[in-house]
Amino acid sequence: MRFAALLLALGSLASAQMRVIARPEKSPLVTFRIVFTTGATADPAAKPGLAYLTARMLVDGGTKDKTYRQITDELFPLAASLNAQVDKEMSTFYGATHVDNLDAYYGLLRDMLLNPGWRPDDFQRVKDEAINAIRAGLRSNDEELGKEVLYSNVYEGTPYGQYNGGTVSSLESITLDDLKSFYHSQYSQSHLIIGIAGGYPATFLDRVKKDFRSLPEGAGFRPRIQAPKLIENTRAIIVEKETRSVAYSIGFPISLTRRSPDYAAMLLVASYLGQHRMPYGVLFQQMREKRGLNYGDYAYIQYFPHGGFLMEPPSNLARHFEIFQIWVRPVEPPTAKFALRLAMYEIDKLVKDGIPEDAFERTRDFLSKYVNVLTQTRSAELGYAIDSLYFDKNDYVEAVKSDLAKLTREQVNTAIRRYLRTNKLVIVAVSRNGEALKQQLTSDDSSPMTYNSPKPAAILEEDKTVEKWPLNLDPANVTIIPAEKVFQ
Amino acid sequence: MNSKLAALTLGGLALAAPAFAASASQKIIPYPYVQEDLPNGLRLVTVSTDFPNIVAVYIVVQAGSRNEIEPGHTGFAHLFEHLMFRGTEQFTAAKYNDMLQRMGASSNAYTSDDYTCFYTVFSKQDLPSVLEMEADRFQHLKYGEADFKTESLAVLGEYNKNSSSPFAQLEESLHDTAFTHSTYKHTAMGFLKDIQDMPNQYDYSLKFFDRYYRPEYTTILVAGEVRPKAVRQLVEKFWGEWKRGSYKPEIPSEPPQDGARTAHIDWNSPTLPILTIAFKAPAYSDSNRESAALDALAFLAFSPTSDLYQKLVVQEQKTLSLGAQHEDHVDPSLFQITARVKIADDMEYVRGQILETVKAFQDKPVDAARLESVKKHLRYSAALRMNSSDAIAASLAPYIALRRTPETMDRLYGQYAQLTPEDVQKAAAQYLVENSRTVVTLTPEGAK
Repeated sequence: MRFAALLLALGSLASAQMRVIARPEKSPLVTFRIVFTTGATADPAAKPGLAYLTARMLVDGGTKDKTYRQITDELFPLAASLNAQVDKEMSTFYGATHVDNLDAYYGLLRDMLLNPGWRPDDFQRVKDEAINAIRAGLRSNDEELGKEVLYSNVYEGTPYGQYNGGTVSSLESITLDDLKSFYHSQYSQSHLIIGIAGGYPATFLDRVKKDFRSLPEGAGFRPRIQAPKLIENTRAIIVEKETRSVAYSIGFPISLTRRSPDYAAMLLVASYLGQHRMPYGVLFQQMREKRGLNYGDYAYIQYFPHGGFLMEPPSNLARHFEIFQIWVRPVEPPTAKFALRLAMYEIDKLVKDGIPEDAFERTRDFLSKYVNVLTQTRSAELGYAIDSLYFDKNDYVEAVKSDLAKLTREQVNTAIRRYLRTNKLVIVAVSRNGEALKQQLTSDDSSPMTYNSPKPAAILEEDKTVEKWPLNLDPANVTIIPAEKVFQ
Repeated sequence: MNSKLAALTLGGLALAAPAFAASASQKIIPYPYVQEDLPNGLRLVTVSTDFPNIVAVYIVVQAGSRNEIEPGHTGFAHLFEHLMFRGTEQFTAAKYNDMLQRMGASSNAYTSDDYTCFYTVFSKQDLPSVLEMEADRFQHLKYGEADFKTESLAVLGEYNKNSSSPFAQLEESLHDTAFTHSTYKHTAMGFLKDIQDMPNQYDYSLKFFDRYYRPEYTTILVAGEVRPKAVRQLVEKFWGEWKRGSYKPEIPSEPPQDGARTAHIDWNSPTLPILTIAFKAPAYSDSNRESAALDALAFLAFSPTSDLYQKLVVQEQKTLSLGAQHEDHVDPSLFQITARVKIADDMEYVRGQILETVKAFQDKPVDAARLESVKKHLRYSAALRMNSSDAIAASLAPYIALRRTPETMDRLYGQYAQLTPEDVQKAAAQYLVENSRTVVTLTPEGAK
């Protein structure tokens, strides 16, 4: 499928007016989530990382009137901060303050977003941080590195195909003028969604709106986002570095977003296969609980960075082209091939057999209540509300609950057959000795498991199938890349 | 009040009052809580919040890697955290998971140096079921040797996933070098050789459970829109029969350090150099101002508002990051300063700058206005953190682990409010001394 139906000219969807989601309540805190519906897709092809650097410069640099040190010193006693998250279609700024300090905090937030200082020494520091976030940060986290390589490979050749944080060489070449020009063309009222919740005074919202009207009304040029290319054959990228174990991320694009009629069905499928950081999923049970292969195994129907640190999926990563992905946490090298085969075997089983009736009901019960846990903080509640507005959907929690209530097992099984597959995948492995892993994964040899304890006959029987499971990976479709070349 | 229970009602005050940070008399915990003990020694703390629907149950067991006193068994508190999910006769692991899943619960656990914490966040109507299931696994956990061996491999998997970070290895090396006798010599994960030997230690695991999974080591913390009396009745019903234990570990004391120590790690893939300088710090106390003074010192000397941070990170841009941490511990632990240096040639310079800063804080008292700013920061950051029932329970759990009461948090924040510039100077002079110093450096191979 070529996603033709989903090709959208996003610019035309945005109205010239800023949009506001306000949730006043009796509370000692005030929470802000300010989203510009622009991001890495607006990076020029030769300057990946520009949207990211621009946002970082706003939160980690001075304003027209205040140096970075002055801002740091003024924010410190408030224990408040302004943070940034940049994704393909959204740049999000978020923070919270105690109502005691609302004036002081908002004054800083407003100037940081609306009157940036653009000082060269701030720029040098922010740029250096971004470069080292790749060199020393991302490349020292095998799992996160694997995921980002997967994302950039799946979307290669489209505006989604660049790492949000850019590349080392691009970051080195980006200038302060590039940032200013990005800011002036992209940070507009038409791209702005302001989310605010908490105990702010009645007149406060008008003040915020008035201030943000100083932004230009309409936005500058932004390239049309494109559907990912078809994956012709399963391919693998082995990121080679000295490391103890083998970390996998596996995936392919799916034509599914929160707008899709199949969203609730596929949310249920991902939860059944591998609810993030929870023991309920099939992959977790089969791979970790029964076989002790690793620390955990999960499934997703969305971009999901920082999974090692987050217990819940972050909001404001709304995308019009999503990914189905499996996260297999690091396995001991001798079991690397078996682990990959087992993950494929389980997905294949799901495609062939569908979801069992009791699991369907249990997973539906789970999600219907878990959405409340997901949105229990004001920041999360605002984040989901902003995503819903972006996708032109009703309240996320209520929509998920009502869609789940109507869902049938047959609909879920239809969605499984429509979206899931075990061929035409991208497999990313972070491992030492890439050549040896390549040979293992591309040969048809059996990869029998040995265990340190007796296993039930059913598992041993299942293993006989798994150990020979065809991965259909042609050596010509395997690339080995040293970690230090990734996003260089 | 039930005569069997010694109940103590302690109140927080509404946060909405103006100038929260300026008023040290205001309690730091913004909601009322009830603390009570069952005859078997189990403690229950119920925090009644006004956040709707969601309830958080945190169960704190005062056994962490600190309790791993026998050689060859480091990492067992953490392994035990995993084993607690292996089921009972009444609720097999599969049934336990199925029930939690139907509740839409978010459930997990973590292990630190001093304690292990199991937490479940769910909709309030499921509170009776959660308390029943938790009571059952704490009293009747049952796992066979085969499951035990499989779970030990998941722990190895956890070590493996951590090991790609140079900071994980830096922590291992720092603790191993700084301590000779204290169980803080190993991290909560344990030594790798012990993790690899875990599959052979089934019998020891049963002993560990028998020793520490007892009411006198355990506090149940419930936060949400709940009524304390109703919670207490449920806890009495499901946990009342739990038998008190008798085991008291003899945890070795660390002798005074007799001189500065160093260690170095050659990291086998490209990364930025890391420098960490640690000093022995006293055990947590809120009956004096030492712990509070060291917490404040970490901010004053090494946070983004400090002169040194502004110099090294913002102006000279020689380090990517700089920070200090002083975590509250049951036993004497570490005050640790860490810098990520951009080039290895600057390591000596950064080391010198950090030590000069330490000396400056020893030589003269800090500016009183800056100390006031830290006090405000501490109070407001606590208020901002406690933004859901889950977050409130998560904030209280470390204090429960230290002294088995949320009052600990109020007491510590009371000490923060009393801090003087002289307290900070005195703590720096007494603890940040050369004889108790350990410096660990990490550089990519070939960079040094």
